[in-house]
Amino acid sequence: MAKSITQEFVKGLWEEIPPFRLVLGLCPTLAVTKTIQDGIGMGVATTFVLVCSNVLVSAMRNIIPSKVRIAAFIIIIATFVTVVELLMQAFTYPLFLSLGIFIPLIVVNCIVLGRAEAFASKNAIMHSLADGLGIGIGFTLALASLGAVREVFGSGTFWGAPVFGPSFHPFSFMIEAPGAFVCLGLMLCIMNLVGKK
Amino acid sequence: MRELIKMVVVLTVLSAFSGGLLASLRNGTKDKIEYQQLKFVKGPAILDIFKGATNNPLLDRFKLKDGTVERSFFVGKFNGKTDTVAFESYGKGFGGDIGLMVGVNLDTNKIVGVGVTTLSETPGVGSRAKTDPSFVAQFKGRPLEETFKVKADGGQVDALSGATVTSRGVAAGLTDAGLIYKRLKPELEKKLKNFSTKAVKTKKGEKNG
Amino acid sequence: MFEQKKFTVSHAPFWHVGSSVSTRSYNIIFAALPAVLFGVFTYGIPAVGVIALSVSSAITWEIAFNKVAKRPPCIGDGNAAMIGLLLAMLLPATAPWWLVITGTFVAVIIGKQIYGGIGANPFNPVLVSLAILTLSWKNFLDFNEVLVNYDFSYPMAYPLASLKHFGVFAISNLKPAALLMGQQSGGIGAIFGLGLILGGIYLIIRGYIRWEISISFLAGVWITALLFNMADPAHYAGPVFHLVTGYTLIGAFFLATEDSSSPVNFIPMLIYGASAGVLTVLIRNIGAFADGVVFAILIANLINPLVDKIRPKALGKVI
Repeated sequence: MAKSITQEFVKGLWEEIPPFRLVLGLCPTLAVTKTIQDGIGMGVATTFVLVCSNVLVSAMRNIIPSKVRIAAFIIIIATFVTVVELLMQAFTYPLFLSLGIFIPLIVVNCIVLGRAEAFASKNAIMHSLADGLGIGIGFTLALASLGAVREVFGSGTFWGAPVFGPSFHPFSFMIEAPGAFVCLGLMLCIMNLVGKK
Repeated sequence: MRELIKMVVVLTVLSAFSGGLLASLRNGTKDKIEYQQLKFVKGPAILDIFKGATNNPLLDRFKLKDGTVERSFFVGKFNGKTDTVAFESYGKGFGGDIGLMVGVNLDTNKIVGVGVTTLSETPGVGSRAKTDPSFVAQFKGRPLEETFKVKADGGQVDALSGATVTSRGVAAGLTDAGLIYKRLKPELEKKLKNFSTKAVKTKKGEKNG
Repeated sequence: MFEQKKFTVSHAPFWHVGSSVSTRSYNIIFAALPAVLFGVFTYGIPAVGVIALSVSSAITWEIAFNKVAKRPPCIGDGNAAMIGLLLAMLLPATAPWWLVITGTFVAVIIGKQIYGGIGANPFNPVLVSLAILTLSWKNFLDFNEVLVNYDFSYPMAYPLASLKHFGVFAISNLKPAALLMGQQSGGIGAIFGLGLILGGIYLIIRGYIRWEISISFLAGVWITALLFNMADPAHYAGPVFHLVTGYTLIGAFFLATEDSSSPVNFIPMLIYGASAGVLTVLIRNIGAFADGVVFAILIANLINPLVDKIRPKALGKVI
């Protein structure tokens, strides 16, 4: 582990950006990216859980017996997810309504458990913090870009404001579930084209 | 053996810590969440009914026991007089329960306004009960104590075209609201008197009520 | 059970029979011409516009994707032109330009090239495209709504929509023979049933499509519609009506027979065609859409890999 803290942070933004490179966390990626707001809201919530659980798991990595580590990780993650859920209900209720069931489902988001198991349980606190933050921001960026594409084509708006003239007829296929798959597939394809050089 | 004890201790401590944190957070955000839910789910209907009220009906609310059910009532204040309450009732629609917010004036027993809060009717057909304001507007000014029926059943309610079941559900919900109102009227009057004499936000007291 | 065709294979060298992807595509285009020309005569210049735009944009998307993906350009095989033409045949003559261009993008890129190009697509590209367009812009593909400005000597209500909304009574004055001769509203190249049948027979004789699929598709439609009609003639239209309206004939001869998404053996072909036909009538009679051909063939495409497993045992293989 010769990587510096900055390297751990940066890798989450491009090299290991979750839905596009790791192809993890697809359930929220497909389900809540109807608009860019929803995408960012989901990304921020996941980032919060990711950073907190990474730090705590890393701090407790020498205390938790390896036989029950998954159970312990899940307790930690579920706690933070419930914290996010309660805070969202209290302060950003409309966002909570539009994300719905997908907030509690962050518990089973494989990115969060994956980082806890694969990274935080083996690395120091600061490294884990940087890793969680990097991956979280990468996830947010991915969700926001997918949400932006789907919102612009699917409803003709960007952040709620119309981008095309009134003669535009929204390509409503894009904001439906199959559109999410097609759109994600095309973005993966573009990522591979750009990354391959 | 040592390892087993360690496992139990670590998991117990972790769970206890987690439980404690969540319990305290839940207590801290409870009121806020309840208010948010009112504001965004029932709020639009309530505020629509109490258009022109001088108070905030979402804050001035109390609960009453109706048999075994506890109901929330929202108080509206018009021209200095606290004589209007709104409460929720339900009617069976085409795709499940239709939630109705009914506002009624206690002096005249007449409906001030009706709003649909929740429904799962067919979009574009039954859902017009919520989106078409002219449908619920017809109830305004009618006495709440009468039995509501759609015209096809020999009643007085103009049904939404093509959505008779939904209209029947709304009518049934209103009839039900009338029954609730009749049962609870004495208590409501008592409560409203408190509101007009105090004329302050009774946020603390209402929690026990 | 049935007479399996047996091939005798001699030793190399072989002769090239002269058939190739491009002759195949151009033959299909040629076979579609009677129906297309009839559509052009009926709907006039707008139909020419839609066809020209559809074919040219399909070719353009194909070149563009070949460039981006660094594959050798393959527009010479005529497959993109064929996709563009078939899509235009399904669209109404009034389809706006952006609808056509999005349609060919979906058909060529998402329907075909993403999977690896010609011969690798699990679904018929034209149908994938039309299904997505139908989900997004229902109003622009509603023949009743968009063809309202055309006025001919025959009723211009879309027969299947009339059947769906007003019942058998509304279609009782439509004569099957007139419908077959193209006196109905519908897609540019989908209304002239006789032309489609002629094109189909040409393709079958030349061996470019398999009669098993076409016939079993039509039989599936016929039998299912007949059963419905016998059960309740007041509600469900007769089998002949279902055969000559909507996309039935173009589906049977040009869409269900698309090579890479249809089976290759005898029994699988019968199952594939018949299931598409049965589904078509089920969707038309009890489903939500007026015409079920598009979704029926797409679903039949899905079972294609499965039914393709029904095949003769390999010689000398011990199972």
